[in-house]
Amino acid sequence: MTDVPVSRLRNFCIIAHIDHGKSTLADRLLQETGTVSSRDMQEQFLDNMDLERERGITIKLQAARMNYSASDGETYVLNLIDTPGHVDFSYEVSRSLQACEGALLVVDASQGVEAQTLANVYLALENDLEIIPVLNKVDLPGSDPERIKKEIESIIGLDTSNAIECSAKTGVGIADILQAVVDKIPPPQDRVSEPTQALIFDSYYDPYRGVIVYFRVLTGSISTRDKVLLMASKKSYELDEIGIMAPDQVKVDELHAGEVGYLAASIKAVSDARVGDTITLLNHPAEEPLPGYTEAKPMVFCGLFPIDADQYPDLREALDKLQLSDAALKYEPETSSAMGFGFRCGFLGLLHMEIVQERLEREYDLELIVTAPSVIYQVNMIDGEMLLIDNPATLPDPQKRESIEEPYVRIEIYAPNDYNGTLMGLCQDRRGDFVDMKFITTDRVTLIYEIPLAEVVTDFFDQMKSRTKGYASMEYHLIGYRKNDLVRLDVLINAERADPLTTIVHRDKAYSVGRGLVEKLKELIPKQQFKIPLQASIGSRVIASESISALRKDVLAKCYGGDISRKKKLLKKQAKGKKRMKSMGKVDVPQEAFMAVLKLNQKT
Amino acid sequence: MNYPQSAYLHIPFCYRRCFYCDFPVVPLGDSARGEHGPGSNSIKSYLDLLYRDISLTSKGIPLATIYIGGGTPSLLSASQVASLLDHLRSHFGFQYGAEITLEIDPASFDKRSLEGFLDAGINRLSLGAQSFDDNVLRELGRSHSSNDLLEACDWIQENFKRGRLASWSLDLIRNLPGQNLIAWKRQLLKAISIAPPHLSIYDLTIEKGTVFAWRVNRGELSLPNDDLSFDISKITSQILNRAGFSRYEISNYALPGHASRHNRVYWSGASWWGFGQGATACLWGNRFSRPRTRKLYKEWLETEETTSKLGSLKSIKKSQSIPIEDLLIVGLRRREGVNMQELSKGLGWTNNQLETNTKELKMAWAYPLKKGWIKQKGWRFYLTDPEGMEISNQILVQMLEWWESLNGCSYD
Repeated sequence: MTDVPVSRLRNFCIIAHIDHGKSTLADRLLQETGTVSSRDMQEQFLDNMDLERERGITIKLQAARMNYSASDGETYVLNLIDTPGHVDFSYEVSRSLQACEGALLVVDASQGVEAQTLANVYLALENDLEIIPVLNKVDLPGSDPERIKKEIESIIGLDTSNAIECSAKTGVGIADILQAVVDKIPPPQDRVSEPTQALIFDSYYDPYRGVIVYFRVLTGSISTRDKVLLMASKKSYELDEIGIMAPDQVKVDELHAGEVGYLAASIKAVSDARVGDTITLLNHPAEEPLPGYTEAKPMVFCGLFPIDADQYPDLREALDKLQLSDAALKYEPETSSAMGFGFRCGFLGLLHMEIVQERLEREYDLELIVTAPSVIYQVNMIDGEMLLIDNPATLPDPQKRESIEEPYVRIEIYAPNDYNGTLMGLCQDRRGDFVDMKFITTDRVTLIYEIPLAEVVTDFFDQMKSRTKGYASMEYHLIGYRKNDLVRLDVLINAERADPLTTIVHRDKAYSVGRGLVEKLKELIPKQQFKIPLQASIGSRVIASESISALRKDVLAKCYGGDISRKKKLLKKQAKGKKRMKSMGKVDVPQEAFMAVLKLNQKT
Repeated sequence: MNYPQSAYLHIPFCYRRCFYCDFPVVPLGDSARGEHGPGSNSIKSYLDLLYRDISLTSKGIPLATIYIGGGTPSLLSASQVASLLDHLRSHFGFQYGAEITLEIDPASFDKRSLEGFLDAGINRLSLGAQSFDDNVLRELGRSHSSNDLLEACDWIQENFKRGRLASWSLDLIRNLPGQNLIAWKRQLLKAISIAPPHLSIYDLTIEKGTVFAWRVNRGELSLPNDDLSFDISKITSQILNRAGFSRYEISNYALPGHASRHNRVYWSGASWWGFGQGATACLWGNRFSRPRTRKLYKEWLETEETTSKLGSLKSIKKSQSIPIEDLLIVGLRRREGVNMQELSKGLGWTNNQLETNTKELKMAWAYPLKKGWIKQKGWRFYLTDPEGMEISNQILVQMLEWWESLNGCSYD
């Protein structure tokens, strides 16, 4: 396999918005080149995780090597490197772009360019990638390739005269795409003689072989007999095997500069072989690692607690196992008087958080209570110390604090301009500072705001989608910390502070959030045998209160002819419901109540 | 364990279906009559099935309580009731002084048919009054008026005074849409003024598929809120206690000596036979309900007849006892509550187990015990009237949690 001259290698990826048909197109390419026979074709071959297939999005990227007989009669090797399609994983995207020389920019021929696509195109342009515009779904009645081409030209500044019109569904244009990859994307540079540098663009954990690392050789070569050094983690390994993805793994002896492959070396956890790290040879190392390596930093935090305290060890084990395959997942034990033992977990973003929760519940059969997401606050103390707080309940008392700073993001929203007003209202509501508004075409607009991350990680995305009937898309990145007048809002249930419900809010919003919270809790917490006061407070000052009146009566139904089956069913249902609750201040609180902060905003 | 000494017979026929009702009933129209009127064929063929159902069962021992419920059993003619009782008597025999109850609805019988029922051997009646207010009766979809009701009460009371009737009950529904404290109090005082020796009082429940369920979904009905309904139950107990009634069971009040013996069987853990469409039987701890529709009931009966010489008893092991949580659920409906020591015998607990398990039960019940909603006397636990009984579901759920932790099982 390694006898392919560099001139006949092509490495490329696909940039597309979530539902613009990337996975289907990738499937078509595999089929067209005979890499995967139609018989073995599962739909969306590259999306391996069940979750991905269910949601129709790519979370973990994959790669595949295809052999293609081009019109010049030569056989070319095409490496398709799939990229994740979500803002949470933009670091992974940038790494996989570095492993390519070109990209297919896939745009839905009726919907046009979306925010996430644009962000990734800019990344690709920064990496000097050759970009081939592809208009997908031209078979659909609503498609308008000419209009979309103009849009691409005016927004991105790409020449679309040679754009390919295709339909991954019907197969139209697929051969043209493959030929364009060969013709337009440059081959890798021939740098086999230099010291070895290979870039890790993905890795996953295999319980039998340890971590499997996907990499692109940029300079030099790697053979099975080599000892390798990972330059960032400073760990060295003897190789068990190297190979190519065809797309199933096939062992080879050697991989040269320009090629894409995998290696297995009994690596214990993906954190030892992080995306972006540089592989070199232990005996003949490169002088410098490749640029751009950073460790994934969690931005969103929440508490995970088992409903059944006995499941705590299981939860720890499950998190340990997940971390083997997810280097971005961070967690540490958290104890709360109300919730018992659990973990404070850090995630790249909301989607990442949801995925982890879902995997814990689905794959590990755990029942969890999840607290509302939070961000990291910088707290400047009067004594000059600076604290990083990711759990609102641990925010120090006001008399000890000098100021609080919170993370801000620059957010770009793309939407038809009909929705301008409602979107600006949303951003304003969430304490956003207006930066710019640009018309990208006559009827589409970009809104740019600087906005506290805390306001984005709640339900911003859902709100944006629902206010624009799903037409808006967004992209954000961290721009730094800013001082704000923030306060800790506590919730007291039956006069006991409920840590998991504590939030940090802007002082101006504290009253309305506090009022909304106790009202929502009154709805969500079932009546008990006694009266329950609910209060929201800042420090010792109560700013809102409600109470849940005591349950005073059950219905006395007729157990007709001694038939108690219905009664028993009802009682068992109640007993089961109670089991899914956490007891706080002697009050049974259901799971939904812990997300009350999120639900609050749904009213506005 | 002994053979059952009680039998429930279900007569599914009604003039029409009331707006709150989801029982297995067959509406026959407002002019239906037992032997000759419209619907009489349906009644006749059903009674044939009922006789076959009774014949299928092993003979057992003579019965001490019989309850003919419905539906509207008073749609049967006196002679139909008589022959039904004859069938039962010739199969099981009746004990001396057996309590034989018939459910009757106003406007479904007259003075003469009432005499006929009593001649046939009925000695206790349960009158489905529900309300004395014509507007309420119309809202409930009942087929009788308050005049029909008052007339029926007169006839019954006359027979009761003459000693032809051992006892009778008047049934009321409360917690109705739009009902307030005064309206309910008026109903209750009216009922007491008629002087029945027994009152059954139920809360309206909204069941799926009923007219009321649609109306609730459309937001047309405003049911009394928690506070009001608690006040309604509080004055119910107050007023009735003052009038000499005792709440011997969660939904039943009686003057001394007039508690329904049949009703007490249901909550004591004893066995009873159940015959007819949708009827529940409880045989040696096994609750079993016959199919709720005529067609399925008939098919079930035919299968039983062909496959089993011993009838429905074949598959039941007589050593089985009623699950303790069932005994607690039903036992706590009674004024005297449940006796843990007695219950523990059936479970084979040692004294140590009895003590630790009872201690844990008391922990589960810590709050209601502290508040005095459950009282303890020796090994006996009982709900107080009205507080304990009004939140019985909560207390029973706490009991189920205790039982679950004891067994390490979970309910799914």
